[in-house]
Amino acid sequence: MLTKYFTKVVVRFNPFGKEAKCARLLLSAIPPAQRISGVTIQNELLTAESTKKPIVKITFKDKTEMEADPSTLNFKELGNHFDRHSRKLSLKESIESQ
Amino acid sequence: MFNLTAGFLPRLRFSFTAFQHVRLMATGARNTVKPLHSRKTFLIDTYKDLMDKNPVVLFAHYNNLLKHENAFFRAQIQALGGKMTVLRNQLFQVYLRNAHLPDPCAASTKAVQNRTHPLLPLFKGPTAAITFSDTDPAQILKFLKLLEKSSDKMFVVGARIDGQVLDISKVHEFKTLPSKPALQSQLLGLLSVLSGAGLVKTLEAGSHSLYLTLQSHHDNKEKSN
Repeated sequence: MLTKYFTKVVVRFNPFGKEAKCARLLLSAIPPAQRISGVTIQNELLTAESTKKPIVKITFKDKTEMEADPSTLNFKELGNHFDRHSRKLSLKESIESQ
Repeated sequence: MFNLTAGFLPRLRFSFTAFQHVRLMATGARNTVKPLHSRKTFLIDTYKDLMDKNPVVLFAHYNNLLKHENAFFRAQIQALGGKMTVLRNQLFQVYLRNAHLPDPCAASTKAVQNRTHPLLPLFKGPTAAITFSDTDPAQILKFLKLLEKSSDKMFVVGARIDGQVLDISKVHEFKTLPSKPALQSQLLGLLSVLSGAGLVKTLEAGSHSLYLTLQSHHDNKEKSN
Protein backbone atom coordinates (compact mmCIF):
# COMPACT_ATOMS: atom_id res chain seq x y z
CA MET A 1 0.00 0.00 0.00
CA LEU A 2 1.33 3.45 -0.91
CA THR A 3 0.99 5.63 2.18
CA LYS A 4 3.18 8.43 0.86
CA TYR A 5 0.31 10.66 -0.32
CA PHE A 6 -1.91 10.38 2.78
CA THR A 7 -2.42 13.50 4.89
CA LYS A 8 -5.22 12.35 7.17
CA VAL A 9 -6.35 8.90 8.22
CA VAL A 10 -9.57 8.34 10.14
CA VAL A 11 -10.28 4.81 11.31
CA ARG A 12 -13.35 3.70 13.19
CA PHE A 13 -13.74 0.06 14.17
CA ASN A 14 -14.81 -2.41 16.82
CA PRO A 15 -11.73 -4.30 18.06
CA PHE A 16 -13.84 -7.40 18.75
CA GLY A 17 -15.43 -7.37 15.27
CA LYS A 18 -14.14 -8.97 12.09
CA GLU A 19 -13.22 -5.56 10.63
CA ALA A 20 -10.55 -5.21 13.33
CA LYS A 21 -7.83 -7.08 11.45
CA CYS A 22 -8.07 -4.92 8.37
CA ALA A 23 -8.30 -1.64 10.30
CA ARG A 24 -5.44 -2.43 12.65
CA LEU A 25 -3.14 -3.60 9.86
CA LEU A 26 -3.85 -0.33 8.03
CA LEU A 27 -2.95 1.65 11.15
CA SER A 28 0.30 -0.23 11.59
CA ALA A 29 1.18 0.10 7.88
CA ILE A 30 1.80 3.83 8.23
CA PRO A 31 5.53 4.27 8.88
CA PRO A 32 6.56 6.20 12.02
CA ALA A 33 8.66 8.67 10.03
CA GLN A 34 5.53 9.71 8.14
CA ARG A 35 3.59 10.06 11.39
CA ILE A 36 6.16 12.61 12.55
CA SER A 37 6.24 14.45 9.21
CA GLY A 38 2.56 15.30 9.20
CA VAL A 39 -0.04 12.56 8.72
CA THR A 40 -2.77 12.99 11.30
CA ILE A 41 -4.21 9.70 12.49
CA GLN A 42 -7.55 9.58 14.26
CA ASN A 43 -8.99 6.38 15.56
CA GLU A 44 -12.27 5.77 17.26
CA LEU A 45 -13.14 2.49 18.91
CA LEU A 46 -16.68 1.14 18.71
CA THR A 47 -18.32 -1.28 21.09
CA ALA A 48 -20.92 -3.95 20.47
CA GLU A 49 -23.72 -1.53 21.44
CA SER A 50 -22.68 1.40 19.24
CA THR A 51 -24.73 2.05 16.11
CA LYS A 52 -22.00 3.72 14.03
CA LYS A 53 -20.60 1.79 11.10
CA PRO A 54 -16.91 0.88 10.88
CA ILE A 55 -15.09 3.05 8.36
CA VAL A 56 -11.65 3.92 6.98
CA LYS A 57 -11.47 7.42 5.56
CA ILE A 58 -8.32 8.79 3.95
CA THR A 59 -7.57 12.32 2.76
CA PHE A 60 -4.85 12.60 0.13
CA LYS A 61 -2.41 15.43 -0.59
CA ASP A 62 -4.67 16.83 -3.33
CA LYS A 63 -7.54 16.91 -0.78
CA THR A 64 -9.55 14.07 -2.32
CA GLU A 65 -11.23 11.86 0.22
CA MET A 66 -11.75 8.14 -0.12
CA GLU A 67 -13.76 5.87 2.10
CA ALA A 68 -13.93 2.12 2.56
CA ASP A 69 -15.72 -0.31 4.83
CA PRO A 70 -13.12 -2.55 6.50
CA SER A 71 -15.69 -5.22 7.37
CA THR A 72 -16.31 -6.15 3.73
CA LEU A 73 -12.74 -6.04 2.42
CA ASN A 74 -9.52 -7.76 3.41
CA PHE A 75 -6.32 -5.80 3.91
CA LYS A 76 -5.00 -6.39 0.41
CA GLU A 77 -8.24 -5.27 -1.22
CA LEU A 78 -8.32 -2.19 1.00
CA GLY A 79 -4.72 -1.38 -0.01
CA ASN A 80 -5.61 -1.74 -3.71
CA HIS A 81 -8.65 0.50 -3.22
CA PHE A 82 -6.55 3.39 -1.91
CA ASP A 83 -3.62 2.66 -4.26
CA ARG A 84 -5.83 3.50 -7.25
CA HIS A 85 -5.66 7.16 -6.28
CA SER A 86 -2.09 7.05 -4.89
CA ARG A 87 -0.80 5.76 -8.24
CA LYS A 88 -2.52 8.64 -10.05
CA LEU A 89 -0.75 11.07 -7.71
CA SER A 90 2.64 9.39 -8.12
CA LEU A 91 2.26 9.49 -11.92
CA LYS A 92 1.37 13.16 -11.77
CA GLU A 93 4.34 13.81 -9.49
CA SER A 94 6.78 12.04 -11.81
CA ILE A 95 5.51 13.99 -14.84
CA GLU A 96 5.78 17.30 -13.01
CA SER A 97 9.30 16.58 -11.74
CA GLN A 98 10.65 16.08 -15.27
CA MET B 1 -4.20 -16.49 64.38
CA PHE B 2 -4.90 -14.55 61.23
CA ASN B 3 -1.27 -13.49 61.04
CA LEU B 4 -0.21 -17.08 61.27
CA THR B 5 -2.28 -18.24 58.26
CA ALA B 6 -1.31 -15.19 56.23
CA GLY B 7 2.35 -15.93 56.83
CA PHE B 8 2.01 -19.61 56.13
CA LEU B 9 0.03 -19.62 52.87
CA PRO B 10 2.37 -17.65 50.57
CA ARG B 11 5.27 -19.85 51.58
CA LEU B 12 3.22 -22.90 50.66
CA ARG B 13 2.31 -21.39 47.29
CA PHE B 14 5.94 -20.52 46.67
CA SER B 15 7.00 -24.09 47.25
CA PHE B 16 4.35 -25.27 44.77
CA THR B 17 5.53 -22.93 42.03
CA ALA B 18 9.17 -23.67 42.72
CA PHE B 19 8.66 -27.38 42.11
CA GLN B 20 6.09 -27.03 39.36
CA HIS B 21 8.47 -27.98 36.57
CA VAL B 22 10.68 -30.35 38.53
CA ARG B 23 10.31 -33.91 37.33
CA LEU B 24 10.29 -36.45 40.11
CA MET B 25 10.55 -40.23 39.85
CA ALA B 26 6.78 -40.54 40.13
CA THR B 27 5.79 -37.86 37.60
CA GLY B 28 5.65 -38.67 33.92
CA ALA B 29 7.47 -36.73 31.19
CA ARG B 30 5.70 -33.55 30.09
CA ASN B 31 4.22 -34.16 26.68
CA THR B 32 4.24 -31.00 24.54
CA VAL B 33 3.51 -30.33 20.85
CA LYS B 34 6.72 -28.37 20.36
CA PRO B 35 10.00 -29.57 21.95
CA LEU B 36 10.01 -29.06 25.73
CA HIS B 37 12.85 -26.54 25.75
CA SER B 38 11.77 -24.68 22.62
CA ARG B 39 10.91 -20.98 22.49
CA LYS B 40 7.27 -21.66 21.61
CA THR B 41 6.69 -23.88 24.64
CA PHE B 42 8.45 -21.32 26.81
CA LEU B 43 6.31 -18.46 25.48
CA ILE B 44 3.03 -20.31 25.99
CA ASP B 45 4.11 -21.12 29.56
CA THR B 46 4.98 -17.44 30.02
CA TYR B 47 1.53 -16.38 28.77
CA LYS B 48 -0.15 -18.83 31.13
CA ASP B 49 1.85 -17.38 34.00
CA LEU B 50 1.03 -13.82 32.89
CA MET B 51 -2.71 -14.49 32.70
CA ASP B 52 -2.91 -16.55 35.91
CA LYS B 53 -0.88 -14.27 38.16
CA ASN B 54 -2.23 -10.85 37.14
CA PRO B 55 -5.86 -9.93 37.83
CA VAL B 56 -5.65 -6.94 35.47
CA VAL B 57 -4.47 -7.51 31.90
CA LEU B 58 -5.07 -4.75 29.34
CA PHE B 59 -4.55 -5.47 25.65
CA ALA B 60 -3.29 -2.58 23.58
CA HIS B 61 -2.71 -2.03 19.87
CA TYR B 62 0.60 -0.34 19.10
CA ASN B 63 1.66 1.30 15.84
CA ASN B 64 5.29 0.49 15.04
CA LEU B 65 6.89 2.27 17.99
CA LEU B 66 10.29 3.87 17.62
CA LYS B 67 12.99 2.84 20.03
CA HIS B 68 12.59 5.90 22.26
CA GLU B 69 8.76 5.66 22.20
CA ASN B 70 8.98 2.03 23.23
CA ALA B 71 11.38 2.88 26.07
CA PHE B 72 9.13 5.78 27.12
CA PHE B 73 5.99 3.63 27.33
CA ARG B 74 7.78 0.83 29.16
CA ALA B 75 9.28 3.24 31.70
CA GLN B 76 5.95 4.99 32.31
CA ILE B 77 4.09 1.70 32.74
CA GLN B 78 6.76 0.43 35.10
CA ALA B 79 6.47 3.63 37.13
CA LEU B 80 2.74 2.89 37.54
CA GLY B 81 3.55 -0.62 38.79
CA GLY B 82 2.69 -2.52 35.62
CA LYS B 83 4.56 -4.37 32.92
CA MET B 84 4.29 -4.25 29.14
CA THR B 85 4.74 -7.47 27.19
CA VAL B 86 4.61 -7.61 23.41
CA LEU B 87 2.68 -10.73 22.47
CA ARG B 88 3.05 -13.22 19.67
CA ASN B 89 -0.50 -13.43 18.42
CA GLN B 90 -0.57 -17.03 17.18
CA LEU B 91 1.00 -18.39 20.36
CA PHE B 92 -1.29 -16.33 22.55
CA GLN B 93 -4.28 -17.63 20.61
CA VAL B 94 -3.01 -21.18 21.16
CA TYR B 95 -2.81 -20.42 24.88
CA LEU B 96 -6.36 -18.96 24.95
CA ARG B 97 -7.80 -21.96 23.15
CA ASN B 98 -6.11 -24.33 25.61
CA ALA B 99 -6.32 -22.15 28.74
CA HIS B 100 -8.90 -24.39 30.45
CA LEU B 101 -6.82 -27.55 29.92
CA PRO B 102 -4.25 -28.68 32.51
CA ASP B 103 -1.30 -28.10 30.15
CA PRO B 104 -1.82 -25.56 27.33
CA CYS B 105 1.31 -26.78 25.54
CA ALA B 106 0.11 -30.36 25.25
CA ALA B 107 -1.52 -31.67 22.08
CA SER B 108 -5.29 -31.19 22.08
CA THR B 109 -8.05 -32.00 19.63
CA LYS B 110 -10.34 -29.36 18.14
CA ALA B 111 -13.26 -30.77 20.11
CA VAL B 112 -11.75 -29.99 23.52
CA GLN B 113 -10.32 -26.59 22.53
CA ASN B 114 -12.19 -23.42 23.43
CA ARG B 115 -12.54 -21.86 19.98
CA THR B 116 -15.02 -19.21 21.12
CA HIS B 117 -12.88 -17.60 23.82
CA PRO B 118 -14.11 -13.95 24.03
CA LEU B 119 -10.55 -12.57 23.84
CA LEU B 120 -9.61 -14.41 20.64
CA PRO B 121 -10.68 -11.68 18.13
CA LEU B 122 -8.27 -9.17 19.74
CA PHE B 123 -5.13 -10.82 18.39
CA LYS B 124 -5.11 -9.45 14.85
CA GLY B 125 -2.30 -7.01 14.25
CA PRO B 126 0.36 -5.78 16.69
CA THR B 127 -0.78 -6.38 20.28
CA ALA B 128 0.85 -5.81 23.64
CA ALA B 129 -0.36 -6.86 27.08
CA ILE B 130 -0.09 -4.48 30.01
CA THR B 131 -0.33 -6.34 33.29
CA PHE B 132 -0.96 -5.07 36.81
CA SER B 133 -0.52 -7.38 39.77
CA ASP B 134 -3.38 -5.87 41.80
CA THR B 135 -6.82 -4.56 40.91
CA ASP B 136 -6.56 -0.82 41.38
CA PRO B 137 -8.76 1.40 39.15
CA ALA B 138 -6.57 4.41 40.02
CA GLN B 139 -3.60 2.77 38.24
CA ILE B 140 -5.72 2.12 35.16
CA LEU B 141 -6.99 5.70 35.21
CA LYS B 142 -3.40 6.97 35.19
CA PHE B 143 -2.42 4.54 32.45
CA LEU B 144 -5.35 5.50 30.19
CA LYS B 145 -4.52 9.17 30.74
CA LEU B 146 -0.95 8.44 29.60
CA LEU B 147 -2.22 6.78 26.42
CA GLU B 148 -4.73 9.54 25.67
CA LYS B 149 -1.90 11.93 24.86
CA SER B 150 -0.48 9.60 22.23
CA SER B 151 -3.50 7.71 20.95
CA ASP B 152 -2.05 7.36 17.45
CA LYS B 153 0.82 5.27 18.81
CA MET B 154 -0.88 3.03 21.31
CA PHE B 155 -4.46 2.45 22.44
CA VAL B 156 -6.28 -0.11 24.55
CA VAL B 157 -8.56 -2.44 22.59
CA GLY B 158 -9.80 -4.70 25.38
CA ALA B 159 -9.08 -6.00 28.84
CA ARG B 160 -9.45 -8.92 31.18
CA ILE B 161 -10.09 -7.74 34.74
CA ASP B 162 -10.75 -10.25 37.53
CA GLY B 163 -11.74 -12.95 35.04
CA GLN B 164 -14.13 -10.74 33.06
CA VAL B 165 -13.55 -9.63 29.49
CA LEU B 166 -14.23 -5.91 29.09
CA ASP B 167 -14.45 -3.76 25.98
CA ILE B 168 -13.20 -0.18 25.87
CA SER B 169 -16.37 1.49 27.21
CA LYS B 170 -16.45 -0.89 30.17
CA VAL B 171 -12.75 -0.22 30.88
CA HIS B 172 -13.60 3.50 31.01
CA GLU B 173 -16.42 2.71 33.45
CA PHE B 174 -14.11 0.55 35.54
CA LYS B 175 -11.42 3.21 35.94
CA THR B 176 -13.89 5.52 37.74
CA LEU B 177 -14.64 2.96 40.46
CA PRO B 178 -13.06 3.33 43.90
CA SER B 179 -10.41 0.76 44.83
CA LYS B 180 -11.27 -2.67 46.22
CA PRO B 181 -10.46 -1.99 49.92
CA ALA B 182 -12.49 1.24 49.73
CA LEU B 183 -15.48 -0.66 48.30
CA GLN B 184 -15.17 -3.36 50.96
CA SER B 185 -15.12 -0.79 53.75
CA GLN B 186 -18.12 0.96 52.17
CA LEU B 187 -20.02 -2.34 52.12
CA LEU B 188 -19.09 -3.03 55.73
CA GLY B 189 -20.21 0.44 56.74
CA LEU B 190 -23.50 -0.03 54.91
CA LEU B 191 -24.13 -3.42 56.53
CA SER B 192 -23.48 -2.15 60.04
CA VAL B 193 -25.71 0.88 59.45
CA LEU B 194 -28.57 -1.18 57.99
CA SER B 195 -28.69 -3.87 60.66
CA GLY B 196 -27.33 -1.95 63.64
CA ALA B 197 -24.17 -4.12 63.77
CA GLY B 198 -26.27 -7.30 64.20
CA LEU B 199 -25.52 -8.70 60.76
CA VAL B 200 -21.82 -7.98 60.98
CA LYS B 201 -21.71 -9.74 64.36
CA THR B 202 -23.53 -12.77 62.93
CA LEU B 203 -21.12 -12.99 60.00
CA GLU B 204 -18.19 -12.61 62.34
CA ALA B 205 -19.48 -15.18 64.86
CA GLY B 206 -18.22 -18.30 63.02
CA SER B 207 -14.61 -17.26 62.78
CA HIS B 208 -14.75 -15.69 66.22
CA SER B 209 -15.97 -18.89 67.92
CA LEU B 210 -13.28 -20.87 66.08
CA TYR B 211 -10.70 -18.41 67.33
CA LEU B 212 -12.00 -18.74 70.91
CA THR B 213 -11.99 -22.56 70.74
CA LEU B 214 -8.43 -22.65 69.44
CA GLN B 215 -7.35 -20.07 71.97
CA SER B 216 -8.82 -22.06 74.89
CA HIS B 217 -7.16 -25.21 73.51
CA HIS B 218 -3.87 -23.32 73.36
CA ASP B 219 -4.33 -22.09 76.93
CA ASN B 220 -5.15 -25.61 78.15
CA LYS B 221 -2.02 -26.97 76.47
CA GLU B 222 0.11 -24.32 78.08
CA LYS B 223 -1.40 -25.07 81.48
CA SER B 224 -0.71 -28.81 81.14
CA ASN B 225 2.88 -28.05 80.14
